[in-house]
Amino acid sequence: MLGALAAAGMLWAATSLWTRAAAQAPAAPAAAPMSAEQAAPIDLKGYWVSLITQNWRFRMLVPGPGEYADIPINEKAKQFADAWKAGPDEAAGKQCEAYGAAVLMRNPEHLHIAWQDPQTLRVDTDAGMQTRLLQFKPPARAAQAQASLQGQSRARWVTPGTGFRAAAPAATDSHHGSLHVDTDHLSAGLLRKNGVPYGTDTTLTEWWDLHTEPEGDEWLSISTTVHDPEYLDGPYIYDSVFQKEHDGSEWDPEPCSLSF
Amino acid sequence: MKPRSVAFTLVSCLAVMLYAGAVCAQIDLSGNWVVESTQDGREHASGPFPGNFAGIPLNQQGREAGWAYSGDQHEELYRQCEAWSMPYLVTGPWGGTFTAVRDHYGNVIAWHLSAPLYDRLPNTIWMDGRQAPPPQAVHTNAGFTTGHWEGDTLVAYTTHLSDSILERNGPPLSNQGTLRLFITRHGDELMMLGVIRDPVYLEAPWVKGQDFRLVLAGESNEVPEYCQPAEVVEGLSDGYHTATVLPDQIAAAQTYMLQHYGIPVLATQGGAQTMYPQFRKKLSGVYKPRTTYCTQFCCNGRGAQRLCKGID
Repeated sequence: MLGALAAAGMLWAATSLWTRAAAQAPAAPAAAPMSAEQAAPIDLKGYWVSLITQNWRFRMLVPGPGEYADIPINEKAKQFADAWKAGPDEAAGKQCEAYGAAVLMRNPEHLHIAWQDPQTLRVDTDAGMQTRLLQFKPPARAAQAQASLQGQSRARWVTPGTGFRAAAPAATDSHHGSLHVDTDHLSAGLLRKNGVPYGTDTTLTEWWDLHTEPEGDEWLSISTTVHDPEYLDGPYIYDSVFQKEHDGSEWDPEPCSLSF
Repeated sequence: MKPRSVAFTLVSCLAVMLYAGAVCAQIDLSGNWVVESTQDGREHASGPFPGNFAGIPLNQQGREAGWAYSGDQHEELYRQCEAWSMPYLVTGPWGGTFTAVRDHYGNVIAWHLSAPLYDRLPNTIWMDGRQAPPPQAVHTNAGFTTGHWEGDTLVAYTTHLSDSILERNGPPLSNQGTLRLFITRHGDELMMLGVIRDPVYLEAPWVKGQDFRLVLAGESNEVPEYCQPAEVVEGLSDGYHTATVLPDQIAAAQTYMLQHYGIPVLATQGGAQTMYPQFRKKLSGVYKPRTTYCTQFCCNGRGAQRLCKGID
């Protein structure tokens, strides 16, 4: 027993001395900060296909007028949607308003994800041929940026035990983690192709998680919360699931459409 | 003290420190979690439309079993309190309470997930490395679940499920079915991704995501209930006989969505192809959106119900 106590004391003393020595050692030159690409705990690159296993009727097809189920719309949104017609918007060249960031990941589509640069993850969709840029180091002028269909998306890696991390974190050997994305500066758009609107004050929060199974399947799940003080009574929360594809052979670009 | 004793003690201390670190790295799931996703409201509430299996990768055997299903069978006396199968966690509207089960040293050896209502059984996710029992062991609607951590995600794998259904309109799940759950906590939100496999009735994995929110104990509207079978069920002959689906009823279920929403049987019969975006091209020219204003099940989003008062 005494021996064990003595050994534990020696271990504590050794640890303490090592810690002090490390603290008093001359500072090593700071390592160059890692880019978001280098720090990525998960590899999202590649081609993905959406799995439409939820809200099938509203996602795969254009629902009829008045079908607003599952969206927490308010009275103003209902009035807008009740009066909405696809024809005038199509004539005005606004077909892509149902492909904005608030619902883009919800559409039936393929994704192609790649690093545009070491701090920007680029997400292309074949449906509507849209591009989202998930920026780990947004430019300083982003705060004054113009509203756009895909808005401004700020991304962060979140790794086990670290909570939110900055764009240039310390080195990590973790192979697990999530991608957290905040998006704002959105132009107005549609949550559904039968006219359910979202406004310019809309923001969305996303969690991107990657899961690999022993069977070899890789799933990308994106949990999205949409806030719109103008047209929603509460948060609109949905999950989108994607399956990893071997290559881009199924990639099938098609223009935006409000009727298909 | 002998050198060998010192070395042993040092190694023991290091092992304890490393183990403690590993335990601390695990995420605490404890608490009451309620479903937060605003999706599949119709399916969660009164159930999917009859015969609509679009987006479910049923094989031919699965769709035929689904069409032959009658909800009336759950009114039979001995089935009234039958619980849903474990996949109901990602297909149903209810959450549950996670509680850590610890050994004498405080280590989590299992996570217990309560069932807020009688229609799902409680489940235990064993984290102590035990193996699943042999295949011929008893199968239940709760199944047998083991789990492990991958980073901040709890991966739970359920086997030993009994024959059941995936949705309230009858798509079947056999006792060979499995569920792999990926449970990831993001602050006060819990994301669950469920991968359901069934070599008997599914031709591909059926993957569903569901979000949950942490609430205080009194904040949850999920009050425990206990099932009391009713001896006589109105509308059913005597509560004892097995419900039967006749051929004309099957035809009605097959064409319900075509008649009410213009969606062809090609889509509503389900199958893996209906999950993928390419399938939309097969519906081009076949499906036309309804032009008349919605008259039933139009609004069920949070807060939106009052807007459709008199319609739903």
